[in-house]
Amino acid sequence: MAQAIKLTNDLTMSGVEETLNETVEVKEDNEFDGEVEDHPVDDYMADPTRYVFYRDRKDWADLEPVPQDDGPSPVVKIAYSEKFSDVYDYFRALLKNDERSERAFALTADAIELNAANYTVWHYRRVLLQALAKDLREEMRYITAIIEEQPKNYQVWHHRRMVVEWLNDPSEELEFIADILSQDAKNYHAWQHRQWVIQEYKLWESELEFVENLLEEDVRNNSAWNQRHFVISHTTGFSDAGVLDREIQYCLNQIRKAPHNESAWNYLKGMLQDRGLSTQPGLLEKVLELKETHCSPYLLAFLFDCYEDSLESSSQKENIDEEEQKISLKKALEICELLAQDKDTIRKEYWLFLGRSLKAKYGGGDGGTDALSEDPEASVPTSEPQELN
Amino acid sequence: MAEEESQFEEFEQIDFLRDRHVRFFQRTLQVLPERYASLETTRLTIIFFALSGLDVLDALDMIDRNMMIEWIYSLQVLPTEDQSNLSRCGFRGSSHIGIPYTTKGPGVLHPYDSGHVAMTYTGLCSLLILGDDLSRVNKQACLAGLRALQLEDGSFYAVPEGSENDIRFIYCAASICYMLDDWSGMDIQKAIDYIRGSLSYDNGFGQGAGRESHGGWTYCAIASLCLMGRLEEALSQRELDRIRRWCIMRQQSGFHGRPNKPVDTCYSFWVGATLELLDVFQYTNFDRNRSFILSTQDRLVGGFAKWPDSHPDPLHAYLGLCGLSLIGEPSLRKVHPALNITQRAFQHLQQLQQTWRDSSGSCLRQH
Repeated sequence: MAQAIKLTNDLTMSGVEETLNETVEVKEDNEFDGEVEDHPVDDYMADPTRYVFYRDRKDWADLEPVPQDDGPSPVVKIAYSEKFSDVYDYFRALLKNDERSERAFALTADAIELNAANYTVWHYRRVLLQALAKDLREEMRYITAIIEEQPKNYQVWHHRRMVVEWLNDPSEELEFIADILSQDAKNYHAWQHRQWVIQEYKLWESELEFVENLLEEDVRNNSAWNQRHFVISHTTGFSDAGVLDREIQYCLNQIRKAPHNESAWNYLKGMLQDRGLSTQPGLLEKVLELKETHCSPYLLAFLFDCYEDSLESSSQKENIDEEEQKISLKKALEICELLAQDKDTIRKEYWLFLGRSLKAKYGGGDGGTDALSEDPEASVPTSEPQELN
Repeated sequence: MAEEESQFEEFEQIDFLRDRHVRFFQRTLQVLPERYASLETTRLTIIFFALSGLDVLDALDMIDRNMMIEWIYSLQVLPTEDQSNLSRCGFRGSSHIGIPYTTKGPGVLHPYDSGHVAMTYTGLCSLLILGDDLSRVNKQACLAGLRALQLEDGSFYAVPEGSENDIRFIYCAASICYMLDDWSGMDIQKAIDYIRGSLSYDNGFGQGAGRESHGGWTYCAIASLCLMGRLEEALSQRELDRIRRWCIMRQQSGFHGRPNKPVDTCYSFWVGATLELLDVFQYTNFDRNRSFILSTQDRLVGGFAKWPDSHPDPLHAYLGLCGLSLIGEPSLRKVHPALNITQRAFQHLQQLQQTWRDSSGSCLRQH
C-alpha cells in the first residue's frame, strides 16, 4: 500500500516535491519481500518475471559491487532493502569505472524507479544517452511516463528539458504540460517548464487563449494570472493603451464574478503601479462603485494605494493643492481604519502602522484628520511587540 | 505545569509539546525506513533540520557532537593531489556515490564525485551548530567550487555537472560566502541582477524572471540581499514597501506561499523571517499564526506537518519551530532570520570570524 510522506526539499534539488513541500506517493518495498531469497540464476530462464539480483546475474559477474560507506557512526541512515542496495551497489560500481554500455543504461532505469530524486543517476543516464547515441524519441516517451507519475520532482523536469534541447523539438511540450496542469493547475515545475519552452521556441501564439481557459475553470488560479502577465509583457506589452484598457476591463469583470480574489487585484495593481495608479481615467470611480457591492480587503487595499499614489504625485507638483491632499489623506486613513477594525483584522497592526506612516509623511500639522484611535504621539512608525500569553 | 495549563485554556489546549519534538529529531538522526529513499542525496540537509531543530529547542546536549562532526567532514569533497578537481569541491549530501569513508585528504579522484551547493551550505551550518571551528574545511576549495556554479545571468547551478539554476542556489551561495567571510565565491552584482529580475509584477519574488511569486523564493531573495549587505542598495524604499505588502498579505491564519493557495506551516518561517528582515513582522497576528502552527503539531510522534492531520517531516518540524521562535515562544532559542541558525550558533560564527580576522596576517591552516 502506498504511503503518503512528506519530503523535505526546500533548498535542494532532489526529492519529489513541488518547490518546498508536497506529499508524494512512494511505494513501500513489501512487494519484494520474501520473493528473491531462494532463486538461483538458473530459474531466471524458467520464469523471467522473477526478479533476480544483479549480484546473481551472469552478465554482471565481472563487476565488483560498491557498497555505500557511511563509516563507523552513520547519521540519518536510510535502511534499504536487499533489492535496493543491490541495484545501487552495482550503480556505484558502474560510476566508478565510468562504464559506457547498454547494461549500464538499463540499470539506470532500475535505479530511477527506486529513487527518481537521485540526480547523479539522471546525469549518468544523460551521459549514456549521448555516448550510446540512444533514441531520444524513446527517451521522451520514457520521461513523459515518469513525470506523469512524479510531477513534483526537479530532476525529471530538468531531464526532459535536456532531451527537448538535444532534439531541438518542442512540439509535444505544450500539450504535455497542459495534461500535467490538468492534474494540478498550480504545479510550479510545470509552469516553469512551460515558460522556458515558450520563451526558447517562441510559442507565444496560443498561450493567452490557454490562460483564459484556465481562468474560466478557476479564476483564482494565481499561476494562470502570472502566466497572463508573462505572455502579454513578452508580446504586446502593457504600454499600448488599447491593451491596458482591455486588461483593466478583464480584471474588473473577473472581480465582479469573484470579488474575493487576491490574484485579480494583484494583477490590476501590478499593471498600473508604475503607470499612475490614481490617474487611470475612470478607474477610481469604478472601484468606489464596486466597494458597495463587491467589497474585499484587496479592493480596500487598492483604494488605499490609489490615495497614496495621488498624495505622492501631488506632493511632487509645483503648486501643491493642499485641500486635495487633505481629502486624499483623510480618505486613505479612513480606509486604514476600516481595514484594521473590520475588513482585514488579521492585519490590524499593519494597517494602523501604514496609517501612522502616511499621516507622518503627509499630515502637516492638522490633527483634525486623525481617524485613528492610536496614540497621536506615535508619528514614528513603531509598535509594541506583541505578547504571547 | 498547572499555571501554564490555565494560560493555555483560551487556546483550546494547544500546548507546545517540547519533549515530543526533541525525540522526533533524535529519531530522525538515527535510522529512517526505506520509504525515505528519495532523501538519500540530501541527507545532510536532514541532519541540518534535526540539529538546528534541537538547537532551537536547546536540546543539543544529548547529541554526540564529535561523532556527528566526523561524519559531516567525511562528506567534504577535498582537492586531489594535483588539485584538478577544485571546481568540484564542497560538501556532498551523502555517501551515495560510493567514496570510501574518510575525513582526511587528499581527495579521491572519481569521475562523478562533486559537491552540491545546498549541502555545502547546510554542512557548514551543521558544523557551526555543533560548535566546530571549521578548521578542517578547505575554504579555498569550497569557494572555487562555488565560483564554478555561477552562470552569466547571476544564478547558480546546484552541481558542476549541471542542474536547474535558480534563486535557491543564490541563497545557498550567499550563505556560504557569509559564513566563510569571503565573497570571492560569487559575483555579487550579477546575483543582485538575477534577484531583481525575479521580482514579479505583484511584488513577490519568483524562482526566476517571469515566474510566479512565492514565499520561499521571496525569502531566498531578501535573505540573500541581507547577507550581502545590499538590501537597500538593490531595492528602493518603494519596492521594499511593496514587497512588505505582498509578504504580509500571505497571512491567512498561518501563512501560505502564494495567493489563493492553502496555508502551510513552513511559510510561517519563510514569510515570517522575510517580514522580520523587513522590520514588519511585528505587525502580523501572532496568535493566529501560533494557533495554526500548533494545529499541525503531531501530538504522538512529535514534529510538525504542513497541514493539520498530516504526517510530520523534518523540514516542517524544523520550520514550524522556527516559526514559533519568531513569535517569541518561550523556551525556544531565537533564530537568525537570514542565516536560519540560532542566534547562539550565529554568535559562535561571529567569534570564529573574529579569530580569522585577527590572525589574517599568519598562515591559515587549510585542512
